[in-house]
Amino acid sequence: MDTNTLTSSQTSTRWERMFERSTRETIMGLVFAIPYLVLFAAFLLFPLLKGLYMSLFEWNFLNPSESTFIGLDNYARLVNDPAFWNALWNTLEFVALTVPLIVVVSLVLALGLNKELKGSRLLQFVYFSPYVLTVSVVAIVWSQMFAQSGIGTHFLGWLFEGSPLNSKFWAMPAIVITTVWWQAGFYFAVLLAARQNVPERLYEAARLDGAGPWRMFRDITLPHMKNALLFVVIASTIFQFQVFGQPFLMTDGGPVGETETLVVYLYELGFRARELGFGAAVGYTLLAILVGVSILNYVLVGTNNE
Amino acid sequence: MSNADRSESLVSRLTDRDTLYRLGLYLVMYGLAAVFFIPYVRMFELSVTPLSVMSDGGFFWIPPETTFAVWERFLFREPIIYRWAWNTLLIASITTFIVLVVDSMIAFSITRLEWPGQSLVLGIIMASFMIPGYVNIIPLYTVINDLGLLNSYWAIILPFAAGPLGVFLLVQFFRDIPEELEEAARLDGFSQFRIYAQIILPLSTPILTALGLFVFIWSWNQFLWPLIVLNNDQLYTLPIGVVILRDVNALAPNLIMTSLAIASLPLFIVFLLFQDKLISSVQMQAGTG
Repeated sequence: MDTNTLTSSQTSTRWERMFERSTRETIMGLVFAIPYLVLFAAFLLFPLLKGLYMSLFEWNFLNPSESTFIGLDNYARLVNDPAFWNALWNTLEFVALTVPLIVVVSLVLALGLNKELKGSRLLQFVYFSPYVLTVSVVAIVWSQMFAQSGIGTHFLGWLFEGSPLNSKFWAMPAIVITTVWWQAGFYFAVLLAARQNVPERLYEAARLDGAGPWRMFRDITLPHMKNALLFVVIASTIFQFQVFGQPFLMTDGGPVGETETLVVYLYELGFRARELGFGAAVGYTLLAILVGVSILNYVLVGTNNE
Repeated sequence: MSNADRSESLVSRLTDRDTLYRLGLYLVMYGLAAVFFIPYVRMFELSVTPLSVMSDGGFFWIPPETTFAVWERFLFREPIIYRWAWNTLLIASITTFIVLVVDSMIAFSITRLEWPGQSLVLGIIMASFMIPGYVNIIPLYTVINDLGLLNSYWAIILPFAAGPLGVFLLVQFFRDIPEELEEAARLDGFSQFRIYAQIILPLSTPILTALGLFVFIWSWNQFLWPLIVLNNDQLYTLPIGVVILRDVNALAPNLIMTSLAIASLPLFIVFLLFQDKLISSVQMQAGTG
């Protein structure tokens, strides 16, 4: 440090010193923030805004400058597209089947494993392990199990003719079972932690009062695990809404569109039909639906906490 | 009957019921584990079943003949899977590294330094947390195309690193680190950078490990986005590669299942090594989310 700064800091007022310090802090703050902000702006915020812009055009992929502005026509077309309503309906069906099953399975696993069992580490490993698999491995293995000579078809064959993946009714349940196997372990881990946080003395006290297992479950376990259960419901609802890999790989949306979900529909529009403007409008509609789901969940959680 | 007798018979009745109950519990929990395990068993069995047995089309519990020919082929003679594993490892490692560095930097900046507009910036990042990644794929694809990044690792790495989850977790964690530690360091003349690197980061090892593990696994397992931006079999990741193998070899389940088994091994090993860490990371996420 040279004499020059020393004199200037001696003569400067307190306010100026503070200003100098806060300028330095601002510069440091920005230096630390900018690497992430650049990524965030370029690959999240900008595409998000561009998507809104694109959805107002008949977008020309090879020559974007020749795109035609059509206002809200893409959205009007969407509302009149039976394929969109079909995909929305299939997605709702998938979510409505998958989320309750995930909640039940993961809760049973968590409550069971909370007791001291021999080999509980091994059990935990088995339950959680499917979660580290990639969706393509999961979907292809289960496609094989539901194929004509597969084990699932062998045992459940009396329910359908041939493979369930070719059945208009059973294709979706097959995808749901696959998904529950893949995902339940993750939520099981969440619920196990919540169960272990319930104070054991509450159960002792209840036992002294002569409460049976059902009453203890209803009056102690459930209320104490409420927040964890809500997390499981909300997180899995939002995640399952975006299902793609399982229907894409197991049935390719078929038979006759019975398992085509919103993201499969979006993918087909954008990357098979190259309808980028219309696809962007579908993306925005999906966004609106999911934000709506989040808000609905938030409201429900909010009132539950009262 | 004396008082002592009565309480004794109550105890024995209770333990009897308890034993039955425990037996039932073991049956249910191990039964479920067996059901959970079936897909792995089938994957392995089919991978060693020769095509001649498969083509009969019948169902079998245990394959009548086995051969490790396909395993040998993929492991030693046709190492395309190694190439894909290497691509996946490279992408997942670079992504994890970038996420840990840039997310911890901005979290440090927001919780420890003061600058105008930071609460607005944080608010925008948090709001983007509500936006599911898939709604963006079409405009993002045009952005990646305009930048000339299609068919490159960066097309996968950069959009993933822009996600807000890490910032969200780290901001929450850094806020709870007491200020006193760094006040002392500041009096000792530590620069901001040294406070970040030598005080905040070491104190945050648990959350950084948790975040790192998850970013690594998620990035490794990505499917839709690599499917869109990669168009060259030398660049494929494992999740895409096994799909291509399936499409080409639709009539050879042993070949498909072997590729799936090999593709799953790396993360299975990671999970074996870090089981407790991973499970507690899940619980940490749920706690903050």
